[in-house]
Amino acid sequence: MRERSPWPYLLVAPAVAGGAFLLLYPLLKAAVISFQHFRMGELIRGAAVFVGLENYAELLSGAEFRQVVLRTLVWTAINVVLIMVLSTALALMLVRLRRALRLAVMSALALAWATPIIAATTVFQWLFQSELGVVNWLLVALGLDSFRGYTWFADGTATFAVLVLLVVWQSVPFAALTLYAGLTTIPAELYESARIDGGTGRQVFTRITVPMLRQLFALVASLEVIWTAKCFPQIWVLSQGGPDGATTTLPVYAFKIARVLHRYDLGSAVAMLTVVILAVALVGNLRRMVRQ
Amino acid sequence: MRRFALNAAAVAVFVMMIFPVYWMFLTAFKPTADIQAETPTFWPAHPTFDHFVTAINAPGFGTYWRNSLVVTLVAVLLALVVSLLAAFAVARMRWRGRGAFLVGVFAAQMAPWEALLVPVFIIARDTGLLDSLAMLTGVYFMITLPFTIVTLRGFLAAIPLELEEAAQVDGCSRTTAFRRVVFPLLAPGLMATSLFGFITAWNEFAFVNVLIIKDQSRRTLPVWLSSFRDVFGTDWGATMAAASLFALPALLLFLFLQRRVGTGMTAGAVKG
Amino acid sequence: MKYRILALAAMFALGACGTTEEPKAAATGAPEKLTLWIMDGSVTQELLKKFETGYEAAHQGVDLDIQIQAWDGIGERVTAALASTDAPDVIEVGNTQVAQYSASGGLTDLSAKVADLKGEDWLPGLAQPGNIGGRQYGIPWYAANRVVVYNKDLFARAGIKEPPKTRDEWLNITAKLNKGGNQGIYLTGQTWYALAGFVWDEGGDLAVQEGGRWKGALDSPQALAGMAFYRKLQALGKGPKDADEANPPQHEVFAQGKTAQIIAVPGIAARVLEVDAGLKGKIGFFPVPGKTADKPGTVFTGGSDLVVPVASRRQEEAYELVKALAGEQFQTELAKAMSFVPNRASLAGVLSGEEGTAAMAAAAANGRATPNTPNWAAVEATSMIKQYMTAVLTGGDPATEARKVSESITTTLNSGS
Repeated sequence: MRERSPWPYLLVAPAVAGGAFLLLYPLLKAAVISFQHFRMGELIRGAAVFVGLENYAELLSGAEFRQVVLRTLVWTAINVVLIMVLSTALALMLVRLRRALRLAVMSALALAWATPIIAATTVFQWLFQSELGVVNWLLVALGLDSFRGYTWFADGTATFAVLVLLVVWQSVPFAALTLYAGLTTIPAELYESARIDGGTGRQVFTRITVPMLRQLFALVASLEVIWTAKCFPQIWVLSQGGPDGATTTLPVYAFKIARVLHRYDLGSAVAMLTVVILAVALVGNLRRMVRQ
Repeated sequence: MRRFALNAAAVAVFVMMIFPVYWMFLTAFKPTADIQAETPTFWPAHPTFDHFVTAINAPGFGTYWRNSLVVTLVAVLLALVVSLLAAFAVARMRWRGRGAFLVGVFAAQMAPWEALLVPVFIIARDTGLLDSLAMLTGVYFMITLPFTIVTLRGFLAAIPLELEEAAQVDGCSRTTAFRRVVFPLLAPGLMATSLFGFITAWNEFAFVNVLIIKDQSRRTLPVWLSSFRDVFGTDWGATMAAASLFALPALLLFLFLQRRVGTGMTAGAVKG
Repeated sequence: MKYRILALAAMFALGACGTTEEPKAAATGAPEKLTLWIMDGSVTQELLKKFETGYEAAHQGVDLDIQIQAWDGIGERVTAALASTDAPDVIEVGNTQVAQYSASGGLTDLSAKVADLKGEDWLPGLAQPGNIGGRQYGIPWYAANRVVVYNKDLFARAGIKEPPKTRDEWLNITAKLNKGGNQGIYLTGQTWYALAGFVWDEGGDLAVQEGGRWKGALDSPQALAGMAFYRKLQALGKGPKDADEANPPQHEVFAQGKTAQIIAVPGIAARVLEVDAGLKGKIGFFPVPGKTADKPGTVFTGGSDLVVPVASRRQEEAYELVKALAGEQFQTELAKAMSFVPNRASLAGVLSGEEGTAAMAAAAANGRATPNTPNWAAVEATSMIKQYMTAVLTGGDPATEARKVSESITTTLNSGS
């Protein structure tokens, strides 16, 4: 029923108008800034001059930007894979749990989700402190004496691991609760008939659960890709991108450039390239949308 | 045996998820001298409300929470209304530009908000909207809008068109049919998205930090949450007490909505 | 129910609009607000209240609005304020931060007022960073430098009667104190202000200027010697190697009573007593020892400057406020109340008589500031020196790590603004 009526346009008009003023306009401004010489002086006094592609050239010619992009990809991949695997397992587990225990686990997930990012990050920083931290205390108590005073934040890999743990901890609740809700909408009759037909547990899972959840899974996964790739405050508070740049992902890099060095021009260029990279990474999803 | 393994795993997950949160609450009740003790204590041996008193008496608490509530609620409600209209157009109507609109909405979720801080600041300054809660509300509205549209659209698509048509046959107008039949079925979806919007807007710090400058009375709670630090370091007890209080509204909202939220998100997303 | 929600929404929406209607004070003839930003913890509430009352009485038609600023996100907030069209009139800015704002063009040039403010004997550590290209943008406000804060009980129990005068003595007594569950010194791995002092004592520097370009200098032999001393000292306690002194706050550790010494500004004593009042009268102070007994160690001069944004709409009144805050009367009160060093050398007399401030004054003569360049703030913000220290303390090769951090510092300092 293709309607030649103004209604659909009127209905999306507020969303479009909001997006135009509060998203597209700033985005265009950021794009313009990325072609200018725009630093603290220009922000305060105005009068920025155009420099063409200079900022992009500076970024792309340096080795650091490529390293950061690569690191961001690794960071996103590790986090998203862990989040999706764990939350799928968790969702499958929730379905099988008895009511009381299920409610307890779901409440714990909710608590973790509602905890402010700053507070959660501070608590993790604290748990992993070398001298007074609970994690080291626990590991030593368990007989792992090499962790006495172990400095988690001195080593790039260890810091990276702590950050992954934090982000996975914060992200699993949303993904797990959503997937669990998805599982509960699969009619029980489907499972029963599959069992009657002699399907094993694994067959039931691959033939019924997976196809039913594929859409939902794809949506949650792409949201997690966007969210982890853009994840910033946790990293900044915990490590400022260190030690030795080991945890400098794209948003941290952009922040360092834009708001520590006050090079808003170069920072905008990083942001523009980030959007392009994300769009490319999720192009499949976008294509499916157009096709619909 | 399998049941035992399952329950053991569930308990392990429970402990892992709850421990950092428990540690936050626990610290809020510990006297400062106990917080830095060499051997950690897992129970408040000498519980105290001092940190909560410090947190509540900190300047701004009185006005900031009101600002936060207003900004968050208005942004969330506005996003819900605007998304509902757009989602209806996308899910129920065929029109030229629909595909492009959808791609735009999905792409908007990738918006690099951290990088838009400076442009948004410049726009606010040049239009005289610095120190204004309206601008802040607008930004939060925009941050949550794309997710809300995507979720509500999927949700609407899941409601059979026949329901609406049946109502129209019964003599309802299209608007009435929507209001009487579709809207109640949408309720869980609305709850799910409003929770997401609430948590996002409630926690936001970067924008309020630069958009509200000279008029301190317009700041919001995240500013208060970050205020227990000075040159000598962070007052952990007070920060954790503040964070506990800060997390409370979102938590209550979640526990209140929990059952409906689950179904809402799925129905919305399954039809993605 | 639905209508009730809508009504509620409308109410909030109206509320939001309502609050954006700013009451225009000028229209009603009430005094206009003069806004002053002070950092959290710089001045006690009582002293501010007293100042406000006195100032408003002396200046008819001025309604002083003192706003306490939280530390989190302060850099962005100050930048935003300078870039706004109606900025606060006077802002307190840390002395390692002031250079970047001075260079930005957002601050009012106060060079013509230096004489009026008796700027001839300002502390160099405060005056220099506020001065870019021969123009004075930042007006020195107060300074504080680090001393050694010690637990008198633990010293007495270890049989130590005299505070150490040289570095070697210091290491000796600290080793003696580091016994039986007590820490000789709680020195976190990232207390980089302390490292700066040791580096300067050896004749090294954090960064040097060579023909208009800045160069990180932590890889010089002198700087490496400073780091080596830091490492020896740090090992005589249980300070975490991967954290700084604010995290966890070292006064909370000291207040446990098992830590013999910390390096901090004397004002920290008040914080210790907040945690454990039982330590009253048991906290002692001595200047950071130097290489030889005739001269205490060089220390980093921390502190603040006052600036007036160009975007302030009331420049004259703003300057009057600066003058009052930087003037002799308030400086004296401030130094006494907060254990600070006043902004002018000739006012240092107010410090004698109190143990903590006396120790500080003894060292203040050897105070130095961080490299005077707008980008120094970025070196601090990215924690590169702190991460270098952690790397060395956890077993990294000092020379290699020092070379790496010096390169990072060089890049950052020369990255233009």
